[in-house]
Amino acid sequence: MAEETIYQRLQAAGISRRDFLKGCGGLAALMGLQQAPPVAASGLPAHLARGGDPAPLIARALATKARVPVIWLELQDCAGCSEALTRSHSPTLVDLVLREITVEYHETLSAAAGFQVEAAKQAAMKQYAGKYLLVVEGSIPTDGIYCTIGGHSALEILQEAAAGAAAIVATGNCSAFGGLPKARPNPTGAKGVLDFIEDKPVINIPGCPAIPEAFTGTLAHFLIFGGLPELDELHRPKTFYGHTVHDRCLRRPFYEAGKFANTFDDEGARQGWCLYKLGCKGPTTYNACAGIKWDAGLSFPIQSGHPCLGCSQPNFWDGGGFYQGQSAPLDRPGIGVAAAAAGIGLVAGAGIAMANRAQKRASDDGK
Amino acid sequence: MTTQAPTNGSGRSPTVPALQTFVKETGGWVASQLEACTRCGICAEACHFYQATGNPEYAPVWKIELLRRAYEQRFTIGGRLRLAAGLAKPISDADLAHWSTLVYEACTMCNKCAIACPMGIQIGPLIHEVRSAMSEAGVVPPELMAAVNKQMAEGSPLGMTDSVWDSRLEWVADEWEEEIPRDVQGADTLVVFSSIEVMKFPGNVAAIAKIMNAAGEKWTVSSEAREIVNFGFYEGNEHRTVEILKRVFDGAVALGVKRIVVTECGHAYDALRWTAANLMDVPVGIEVTHIAGVLGDFVRQGRIKLKAGAFDNDGVITFHDACKIQRRGGHINEPREILKILAPNAFKEMSPNREQAICCCGGGVIAIKEADPQRYAVFQMKVDQARKVGAQTVTMTCSNCRLQFTDGVAHFGLDLKVTGLAQMVADALVE
Amino acid sequence: MNWTSFLEFTRGPLFYAALLIFIAGMVYRLVRVIALGWARDRVKSRGSKLGGAVRSLLKGFLIWPFIPWVKNTFSRSPLIYVAGGLFHLGLFVVIFLGAAHMLVWKSLLGFGWPTLPLPIVDWLAVVAIAAMIVLFINRLVHPVLKLISGPAEWLNLVFVFLPMISGYILTHHLFFRYETAYSLHMLAVDWLLIWIPLSRISHFMFYFFAKAIHGAQFGKRAVAP
Repeated sequence: MAEETIYQRLQAAGISRRDFLKGCGGLAALMGLQQAPPVAASGLPAHLARGGDPAPLIARALATKARVPVIWLELQDCAGCSEALTRSHSPTLVDLVLREITVEYHETLSAAAGFQVEAAKQAAMKQYAGKYLLVVEGSIPTDGIYCTIGGHSALEILQEAAAGAAAIVATGNCSAFGGLPKARPNPTGAKGVLDFIEDKPVINIPGCPAIPEAFTGTLAHFLIFGGLPELDELHRPKTFYGHTVHDRCLRRPFYEAGKFANTFDDEGARQGWCLYKLGCKGPTTYNACAGIKWDAGLSFPIQSGHPCLGCSQPNFWDGGGFYQGQSAPLDRPGIGVAAAAAGIGLVAGAGIAMANRAQKRASDDGK
Repeated sequence: MTTQAPTNGSGRSPTVPALQTFVKETGGWVASQLEACTRCGICAEACHFYQATGNPEYAPVWKIELLRRAYEQRFTIGGRLRLAAGLAKPISDADLAHWSTLVYEACTMCNKCAIACPMGIQIGPLIHEVRSAMSEAGVVPPELMAAVNKQMAEGSPLGMTDSVWDSRLEWVADEWEEEIPRDVQGADTLVVFSSIEVMKFPGNVAAIAKIMNAAGEKWTVSSEAREIVNFGFYEGNEHRTVEILKRVFDGAVALGVKRIVVTECGHAYDALRWTAANLMDVPVGIEVTHIAGVLGDFVRQGRIKLKAGAFDNDGVITFHDACKIQRRGGHINEPREILKILAPNAFKEMSPNREQAICCCGGGVIAIKEADPQRYAVFQMKVDQARKVGAQTVTMTCSNCRLQFTDGVAHFGLDLKVTGLAQMVADALVE
Repeated sequence: MNWTSFLEFTRGPLFYAALLIFIAGMVYRLVRVIALGWARDRVKSRGSKLGGAVRSLLKGFLIWPFIPWVKNTFSRSPLIYVAGGLFHLGLFVVIFLGAAHMLVWKSLLGFGWPTLPLPIVDWLAVVAIAAMIVLFINRLVHPVLKLISGPAEWLNLVFVFLPMISGYILTHHLFFRYETAYSLHMLAVDWLLIWIPLSRISHFMFYFFAKAIHGAQFGKRAVAP
């Protein structure tokens, strides 16, 4: 029996053709597609693949493709990314996408537990070998035996699941870059997926948590075009991570005008001025927060009065204090170390001065 | 530009003693000044030699290049490494010969560059250190060396021997009918003239005598300390400087005076007033001052009365600031106070003036024939400044400047009266 | 090694090391001069040495070209004077009154101060950069500067120019991604910190010596320095 296409399933769920096309248009907008990219891999007719309105392209893709099986691993995580996803702000869109994938394994969401669910995972990996999408949430410990599931270490689990994956999506800062577990002193030796997986395409959707729409949008892209979206050098989709938070921040004009909040309760803070001096990491943080925002576009941290922590950047926990200026150095010599350096200079300077004085005396005698 | 430098006769490379001197002279203050230099080149535009000729080698910073090289190559690790690696130029005999012409024939130690320097580096005194090295190395222009030797042997570079001095002073006293007390034990003030005045501007000697007498000063001249000029200092030689200074101080001590009045010689005043104490043990309780300051004090204290406006009808009078009496000596205000009495309307300031004034280029350079082209070129600028204010008379408190002006006026055939402030004061005395 | 981790390196350990080298180097330079021995000035003063030194230091900050005592120097070298003055002014404002740099000082010193609006800082940065280019060209063509400029003078100009231009690129998000520009800026800054004690850029420390000596020497003679 041929697998049901996404459109067929939506029809069965009572979604009209009109709603379906509207959803496709919304999805295109979310993915930042103004023109359909010439993706040969999409298997579309040339006139569709070459450009123009992307909505029909998406509609056609969804109408012709089968659902994508997903295996979702949770390693050293907090399930925050999963939870954020459930609160995604555009339910129809998320529904659309969530319906278009079949989650074969997810520790938190699974009704089953124990050996049963592990067996289900093994079966899914076997059944969809080479086709399934592996989503990883949480970092991978390398030191000691932290985070074992069913007697297997996190790394073994990852490597086993990655072997048969079509692609890997590392969602959240932990799986992308190591996240919180990797913060100094990093007791578990936590690392991100890319530190272990080299032979599979890996997409990072960092954030703490990842913006749900960034996750769903990326998944939709994979679904529709059958390939990876354009990525930056940190393997993040450029659609969502192409600009800094600072670039699109609603408080940016205050930055330009030099109007800053100096404390959290001063007049500047009340006026909604720039939080740069309170440690905002917006200028170095690439994420879509200022654009897509959170909770149905309601707000995002800076709008709510808190500086950006830089949660979509590698090592953001160690990237200077959260409330330390973004331009401040990451390491500061303490007074003791600085004094020691000065002491070395002092001794060396005094040394050469003494040598020079000896030289002067010798010259004086030499005459 | 390439004059053959005399060797020091010992057959030893002059670089050795030169380097030794550089090393010896480089104390904290020299080092701090050299370290502060950013090589911005502003000092070039302050130097009258550069202004007049446009020769980039006349930039003051370039004149101390050897001192800088010696400091870097002997006192710093980086400099030593660069020297060892062949990346830095060592100081050669040819360099010494070349820089000898720069520091002796294109510098009057006027220190205008220090005023212009944004860091305030004392380039003049640093050039003096370079001269010291040149002197120890024996790379001094022959004409200057001859004058130095003459002063060491005869007591005066202008050949003012005992007998010449005797007869000149006698003649001055006769001619101007002024009493000049000689070798008076227990006098308060010892006036030491420069041989330039005695030999070339005797009127100035007479004028100073007249003023001293009019003020009722207990003063004297000394046959021992009869020459204030210090060519050892001009040359930059410490031993000879001290020896010449000693002659003056010994004369003063022998007569038991309370103060020495230096008359009109720039290097002499710098040496005796501002340098001597750092080179030798100077006699305690003897004050050293300059005649320009004394004139000012006399007028301020009312010890002499001047006829107000005495020179108001002879056309515009301007005052030339001598580099070592005014900028480096500090007697900037006194001459102006006096001129405002003597010629309240006729007195006009040149621009720039006071501590910013440019040097006339007398400053010792006049003793070296090779320096004539640049000397006249600089003088031309000074004359232009005087002309700009329409000056018919230029007055000053330095006989070396006066020599330069007299020579320059004759050289260019100018219609400009050159006089000394002391002479103007003497002429305007109200008995 | 990606740009983000390179940025962490340049902002973190490299900056740390550069700062220590800077501190050690500057103390070394200072002590090398101070401990060389200072002969006591035994000459009796006519005026006040201390007064002269204070006056000289204060006057050093008054660079308005039409002040009488500045006019003479200014009119002889207007280009060096204006370009050099504007360069230092721009540099001072950018380093001390720019918000980003103030935060660096704040993190190092533990206290901050008010800063100027970005457009003002920005324009002064442009002025300083332009002044540097003018000074560079001037050094290329001016006969005196050609004569007295060795390799170190050219390197100084380049090494000071790099942080300035990369900082400008950084604030304006030109050409590079932010972390790339930031890394390059930090790399340039770190190198400059190491280079300063090795070069004449350290003149800002000896400025106070030279200016004070100048003031004392002129004050001693009762001449306004």
